[in-house]
Amino acid sequence: MRSLHVAAAVACLAVAQLGAAALQQAAPALQERDFLSRTRRITVEGRRSGEGYYSADGKRMVFQSERDPANPWYQIFTLDLTSGDVKKISPGIGKTTCAFFRPNSDEVLFSSTHLDPKSKQYQDEELAFRASGKQRRYSWDYDPEMDIFVLNEKTGALKQLTTAKGYDAESAYSPDGQWIVFTSMRDAYSRPLNPTEKNALEKDPSLFADIYIMKADGTGQRRLTTELGYDGGPFFTQDSQRIVWRHFDESGLLADIWTMTLDGKDMRQVTTFGSMSWSPYQHPSGEYFIFSSNKLGFENFELFIVDTAGTKEPVRITYTDGFDSLPVFSPDGTQLSWTSTRGGGQEGQIFLAQWNHQKAMEALKNAPLRIVNTR
Amino acid sequence: MKRALLIAGFVAYSASLYAQAPAAVASRTKVHVTTLASDQLEGRLSGSVGEQRASAYIVSELQRIGAKPLPGQAGYTVPFEFTAGSKDGGSWVRLGGRLTQRFDQRAEVQALSFSDNVDLGDTPVVFAGYGIVVPDSQGFAYDSYATLDVKDKVVVVLRYFPEEAETKTKAILARYADLRYKAMAARQHGAKAILVVAGPNSPNAGEIIPMTFDTALAGSGIAAASISSRVADAMFGALGDPAKTLKAAQAALDDANPHATGFAMPDVTVTLHTDVIREKRTGHNVIGYLPATLRSSLPKPWVGIGAHYDHLGHGESGSSLAEKADMGKVHHGADDNASGTAAVLAVGERLAAQPRARHILLQFWSGEELGLIGSTAYVNAPAVPLDQMAAYVNFDMVGRMVDNKLSVQATGSSPVWARLIEQANIAAGFDLQIQQDPYQPTDVASFNQASVPCINFFTGTHVDYHKPSDTADKVNYEDLDRVVDFAAAIVKRVGDAPEPPQFTKVDQKTDTAGRAGVRLFTGTIPDYSTEVKGLLLSGVIGGGPAEQAGLAKGDIIIEIAGQTIANIYDYTYALEVLKIGQPAKVIYLRGTERKETSLTPAARK
Ligand SMILES: [Zn+2]
Repeated sequence: MRSLHVAAAVACLAVAQLGAAALQQAAPALQERDFLSRTRRITVEGRRSGEGYYSADGKRMVFQSERDPANPWYQIFTLDLTSGDVKKISPGIGKTTCAFFRPNSDEVLFSSTHLDPKSKQYQDEELAFRASGKQRRYSWDYDPEMDIFVLNEKTGALKQLTTAKGYDAESAYSPDGQWIVFTSMRDAYSRPLNPTEKNALEKDPSLFADIYIMKADGTGQRRLTTELGYDGGPFFTQDSQRIVWRHFDESGLLADIWTMTLDGKDMRQVTTFGSMSWSPYQHPSGEYFIFSSNKLGFENFELFIVDTAGTKEPVRITYTDGFDSLPVFSPDGTQLSWTSTRGGGQEGQIFLAQWNHQKAMEALKNAPLRIVNTR
Repeated sequence: MKRALLIAGFVAYSASLYAQAPAAVASRTKVHVTTLASDQLEGRLSGSVGEQRASAYIVSELQRIGAKPLPGQAGYTVPFEFTAGSKDGGSWVRLGGRLTQRFDQRAEVQALSFSDNVDLGDTPVVFAGYGIVVPDSQGFAYDSYATLDVKDKVVVVLRYFPEEAETKTKAILARYADLRYKAMAARQHGAKAILVVAGPNSPNAGEIIPMTFDTALAGSGIAAASISSRVADAMFGALGDPAKTLKAAQAALDDANPHATGFAMPDVTVTLHTDVIREKRTGHNVIGYLPATLRSSLPKPWVGIGAHYDHLGHGESGSSLAEKADMGKVHHGADDNASGTAAVLAVGERLAAQPRARHILLQFWSGEELGLIGSTAYVNAPAVPLDQMAAYVNFDMVGRMVDNKLSVQATGSSPVWARLIEQANIAAGFDLQIQQDPYQPTDVASFNQASVPCINFFTGTHVDYHKPSDTADKVNYEDLDRVVDFAAAIVKRVGDAPEPPQFTKVDQKTDTAGRAGVRLFTGTIPDYSTEVKGLLLSGVIGGGPAEQAGLAKGDIIIEIAGQTIANIYDYTYALEVLKIGQPAKVIYLRGTERKETSLTPAARK
């Protein structure tokens, strides 16, 4: 789950709205249809679906969906973008999230809690709870039993890549298929915590989340970020030279987009957007990132693009109320896929649209220079 | 599409901005729509010559694509009888007892459309208050008949519901204040007749109730008439009791105190003649089928695809939204529903050329615009047993796609729909709006009622809806053909699947009991095609109260007069308890902004 749970906070709401007013004044009269055309809904079945990622040839997508009648949580599915055939590839026990195809291989990675002996019990309890008709507000619990696995689709072999206690997820391969970047909260479980930290862990373990890197076979696991605050949702840039991720401040309310090298050096802030900006993903041209931000309303996440170096202010892409986030480009750069509530209701589904790269480049060129370059 | 529940009209303004590559194969949908929506077919009113011409065209097309008449049938048309209109044929009332007064003018007495035709001799009279009985299940005790003996008597009741009751009480009472519901309650208590008067404290005070359009073939088992305040005043006046004038009687009931009661009117008798003339007509469904080509014996070996082909004729049925200058002109109904008819023919033609594991019924309904009469008649006397139908797929208004948006409705009727739709949409690529609710104002509702898994396709409403200007040149044929491709893929999968879809019963969101009908006019045009929390407006009527309140297309109403609005039903109920001429606070969302305004409802007759 590269997603995040949104705690209502009045202070941030005010900040966001203040920013929105300024932004509306500056923005030229662009609309969603300048960038997106033939918007279509890709997932229909199940309570919700999200985080669709393309295979390297662009012919398939892997995504998470709550549609397995025997499992109340996300399971991982592949979708054939020609035939529409959908196949479940995760074990069906426990929770799963954040899948990604390994380029030029038969492998898919995802995170799962199926090895937790209590998984089945939790699952049955949750099914019973939902059958009772009760509802709880959606929240992601950063299950400390979550580990990263890689499935060979040909052989069916499932190999565990991480074993540390603490949430290991939000992982992605490098375009050359040699590296995996991921998010881990293992720091919270691997050393004695002082009382303040213990308290913080109980409230919100994501404070301990940091970016890690490992080889595709799971060896050489290395921590890249150390600052307090939720570091997560990392991806490689198209040239496999840098990592883009989102960094939250300690309050958990403001996040911005950052990049760094594969050894955790040369950290550069790409946005200073005064809002919750997250889920960055680079366009195959390498020219810009697309990301999601609640700049225009605390619970209204819209997509924005920003040039890779972050010299300009972000340009707004979507103009539809509700949740628009977790964007990815097709490998050829002609399509955008993202998770949105635009189909109605509270729950996200995956959408896809034709992407106008030329218009995006034009809009970035016309965007004003970024107001603050460092924090 | 049958004009939905209550609100006048729908409007959508955006023009098609979505250009699609031309379809590879020449499609006949344009020919179908252009023919069906031509002047010669005169708006295809059920039971009219235009309907006959339309059905003849459909039959010739069925023959062309190789569809057969149903087993055991010589032809494709299936007639059904319905009431095309009703009028009062000379009802009168004579007051006896201490009075002798006869009223026979239509401004004084008029039968209600569902009245039995009776001659009732000198009969005692009981005033039964608002004549409302709330079922025990509602947990709110209100029974106008609790202390009254009305057996073999005439009851006089007030129209609507207690006017001064608190909002919550009103909301409950309003659901049982429909005239038919009141007549049923009177009949169940043994009354011979029910006379309804609009009290001086109510909208349309003292006026006769217009004869409503009612397609029922017969009366409802009781004499029912509306009387003017002049008739009522004469009756109440005969009591000679200042506490028992019509005005005082209403006032005593208007706070909805459940202990306030009606009373016998010992000094008055009524002689009553009711006469409703019902004009019977015959409509025609058209049905053919494509026999299965594969020698398999699958369970539930039939799949239906259908659309209504009737429309509003020259607008005589009352659901026309024609501007004054266009009244009486041919309502072409190109989108509604020549487009759906064309889609069924096109899907049928496609499937005729492919191997089929199940028989495909091609079903064209008449009488839809008058209240789903054709499809209802069919499910009451199905040519193929309904439990032998694997599924039914309906098309109603699929010719005006904008921005790639397609609504698929009634998907809650089976768990298979989501999967089938998802799979087919990978190739089709629509921006789907999924609506689970099968209680839609179109023929899909008839099949849902009959426990057949069903879905409906719909491309949304527009400014020409139910107007003569719904013409063939405005139909978006490229996208209509995409809908045909999409639907054909879904029907093919259902038809070839070894296991038929399971049916799921969806609970109806609204109470099935009658309602008093919306009494007031707000000038809002709800958008029925999108499911949002609240009431999304697809427009407001020019000069209406909503426009005056500053509401506009795209606004989402979330609260009226302190009542939360989650859907169209909440909105309906909220409207029922507003007061005409009295400003009500409206909270709405415009974009992400929460706004507030004051709306003053006007009266609706
Ligand atoms: Zn219609």
